[in-house]
Amino acid sequence: MRTTLGLSWRLLRGGGRRGLLGSLLTLAAVAVSTGLLLFAVGANHAFAARSAADAWRHPAKAHGTPTAIEALTTDGVRGKPVTVVELAALSGDAPVPPGMKRFPKAGEVWTSPALRDLMRTLPADQLSQRFPTRTPTGTLGRAAVAHPGELVAVVGHAASDPSMTAARSDAMAVDNVASPTRIDRYGTGSQSSYAFVYQMLAAIASVLMVVPLLVFGGAAARLTVARRDQRLAALRLVGATPGQVVGITTAEAVLTAAAGAVLGTVLFAAALPALTQITIGGGTWYASDLWPGVWTPLVLLAVPVLVGLSAVVGLRRVVVSPLGVARRATPPALRAVRPLAFLAIVIAFGLVAGSLTSFGRAGLVILLVFLALAFIGINLVGPWIVALIGRVAAGTARGPARLLAGRRLMDDPRSAWRTVAGIALTGFVAGFLALLNPSAAMFHHGSANRLEILVPSASAEHVASAARDRLRGLPAKVTVEQREDAAGEGRVTTVRAAVDGAPADVDRARTALTGLVPGHTATTPADADQASTGLLGDLRTGALTVLGVSFLIAITSAGITGASAVLDRRQTYAMLRLAGTPLEVLDRARRQETLIPLAVMGGGSLLTGLFFGMPFAVDFGYSGALTLAGFLVVGFGGIIGAGALSRPLLRAVTTDPTPRPD
Amino acid sequence: MNVPTPSVLSGTGLVKAFGPAVALDGVDLDVGRAEAVAIMGPSGSGKSTLLHCLAGIMRPDRGEVRLLGDRIDDLGERRRSALRRTRFGFVFQFGQLLPELPADENVALPLMLGGTGRQEAVRAARAWFGPLGLAGLEGRRPGELSGGQAQRVAIARALVTRPAVVFADEPTGALDQATGHDTMRLLVEATRDNGASLVVVTHDPGVARWCDRTVEVRDGRLLVPSPGAA
Repeated sequence: MRTTLGLSWRLLRGGGRRGLLGSLLTLAAVAVSTGLLLFAVGANHAFAARSAADAWRHPAKAHGTPTAIEALTTDGVRGKPVTVVELAALSGDAPVPPGMKRFPKAGEVWTSPALRDLMRTLPADQLSQRFPTRTPTGTLGRAAVAHPGELVAVVGHAASDPSMTAARSDAMAVDNVASPTRIDRYGTGSQSSYAFVYQMLAAIASVLMVVPLLVFGGAAARLTVARRDQRLAALRLVGATPGQVVGITTAEAVLTAAAGAVLGTVLFAAALPALTQITIGGGTWYASDLWPGVWTPLVLLAVPVLVGLSAVVGLRRVVVSPLGVARRATPPALRAVRPLAFLAIVIAFGLVAGSLTSFGRAGLVILLVFLALAFIGINLVGPWIVALIGRVAAGTARGPARLLAGRRLMDDPRSAWRTVAGIALTGFVAGFLALLNPSAAMFHHGSANRLEILVPSASAEHVASAARDRLRGLPAKVTVEQREDAAGEGRVTTVRAAVDGAPADVDRARTALTGLVPGHTATTPADADQASTGLLGDLRTGALTVLGVSFLIAITSAGITGASAVLDRRQTYAMLRLAGTPLEVLDRARRQETLIPLAVMGGGSLLTGLFFGMPFAVDFGYSGALTLAGFLVVGFGGIIGAGALSRPLLRAVTTDPTPRPD
Repeated sequence: MNVPTPSVLSGTGLVKAFGPAVALDGVDLDVGRAEAVAIMGPSGSGKSTLLHCLAGIMRPDRGEVRLLGDRIDDLGERRRSALRRTRFGFVFQFGQLLPELPADENVALPLMLGGTGRQEAVRAARAWFGPLGLAGLEGRRPGELSGGQAQRVAIARALVTRPAVVFADEPTGALDQATGHDTMRLLVEATRDNGASLVVVTHDPGVARWCDRTVEVRDGRLLVPSPGAA
């Protein structure tokens, strides 16, 4: 074992400048993969952390003897939601809420840092007068707050306080309110339906990002092996045992990958401050939530292991026959089971797609499995189609560039596929997301100036006149209205205050109306739309993030595989140049080798993505078309750019006139 | 056999240095029409550098190279590249055939690079297979050929454009003695039959014996000045 490690280390160090360049390419590939993998894991971690910070606010009925009463209302200030948790102790052992040192006493107000700052800056009649004390008793800790900008207040009451008995409901929302409930501990499950939606979207986004990453990481691993092929075949020829050959290469790949994984982690840590600024779900992120925590060492460990495994698989050929790689023979055709598997996946999805949305959580799992299967399917059918394209291109070629490109595609469709796999898989992502790109017109934006309080119809007129009293001096008109309730299950009576003024006047009115009807908060239609319009923006942000990450993977992967292809074939290129082949012909052949399969596979994947997105199609519209156009421009541009980057390398390897048997 | 013929390729006063190491130190060499010249010498004597300068792969620091009376050493890379493609042929020790292409397309490639249509190029390429003892191997890929067969395909490729000069650098270096001598005989005969001159770099006296004339390079200079006796 020590001999193997020692030899790998020597080979790694003694590889010369080109060997070093190759190792650096692998290192860079693994670093990018690791960084993005940490991001994908971190995003899920962050959504789970947010969900946990939100869960305790939703009371669940006590199983044992209740020790406290908990209620939840959602207020608003300057168009942003303020979550108000009201607590009253029933006995001395009332449970201490997350993020607080002790159970709040009656009349105390604990706030999140953002709310504390806002209470300081806004005039008292716009915000802080809504609470029992104008200056907060304490600040809520991390565990009670979902994101840095979140506005949360925990208000302590006596158990006999009317607000701890009045049923909660407001005129608009049904999700973010909970009537006083006798509890013995805080809820742990997510009660907010939006938290679930976000976690679901994060899971989909992760699958969309992680699968191409794994493909890319595998390509990087095989890249090390490909470069070592020749030398390892030589080792095998001089009598190294298969075990030693596998050991040496795997150790080499794992060493490089371990360095790459560490570098990737450093890169991710460096990018973390920027990543926390991505606004989703109404706020930015805590760096500690986005950092994958215990998952970090697991990723750091898993990446080198996966790269090592991939290297072992790639080595099978060399190990089976010492001549397997040293002598290039006609490769066996790829089996037809590849396109059949792909078709089977697409057809199976077509069969279940229609009913997916009615399955709830199970439907999500099925969708995630199908997304992963779609990636695997595209990855299976990719090389097969590349070989087919190669056969057609070589068969119909008239000029040398097309002939070279076609023969090369036929000869090694897997490696040609690896160059374009990233963009092809991104095509799937773009196609899938294009349909999930709702246009703004789908969501109606309710008025932000019309405050409504739900009232029993008998006391409506009485409440309305009290409201007029409280709003005296403000540009508000108070009326009594009858309308459908938020759940659409009957008619309700509301007292409506139409405020004709600036947001500050609306906040003054809200503050003035606080406590008018115990348990009922004045809300605007805009408050109710907030979650859905927020979700719309977040879908866009999420889609752009996933697309950005996919493109980053795809273009890095194209650049790295392009450069390594030049290195692998440097001898051939040098010979061709020497015999008078113009550099342009070589370059054109190289470009066609990438662009022909890219055009076919990129388009095919895009269509597959559209097909898979169909059951969830919200709207195609303008932004969907923009997504697709963006994919075409960035995808092709990126690939051409990444290919152009290795042109100087091509020039460099072909200026060396003497062929060497390295 | 040693009757002086009009010179096809000539190098005069060739000097080439790599940093402090002088590879060529004033070499004169003339190659006659359909003449086969062997360049011999120990490793590092400068024989490969001489071949590279004569073939327009490298530009000499001083001196000049003429092909049929026209200077070629002062041409730009693009024109020298075109010259190598059209007027010269190359045979090397290894790595000259494209592993992805079948044998006939490997031979046809220089014609296609010169603008000949594919069908015509492949037809012309296949015509070389019979005379070189390669009949039936047209569709084989380089990995499926023996060392001697691969070298014969390389000879066909070097001659398919009907070049003025064929350059060979250790063409039998990777072959056993018997196969090497067969290959050498074929190379010399086929080149001569096509009216092309041949410049072979080798350190094997058995290979040099097939040529009309041998020159020896030591420390960047010719030991036997050209023209001279073999």
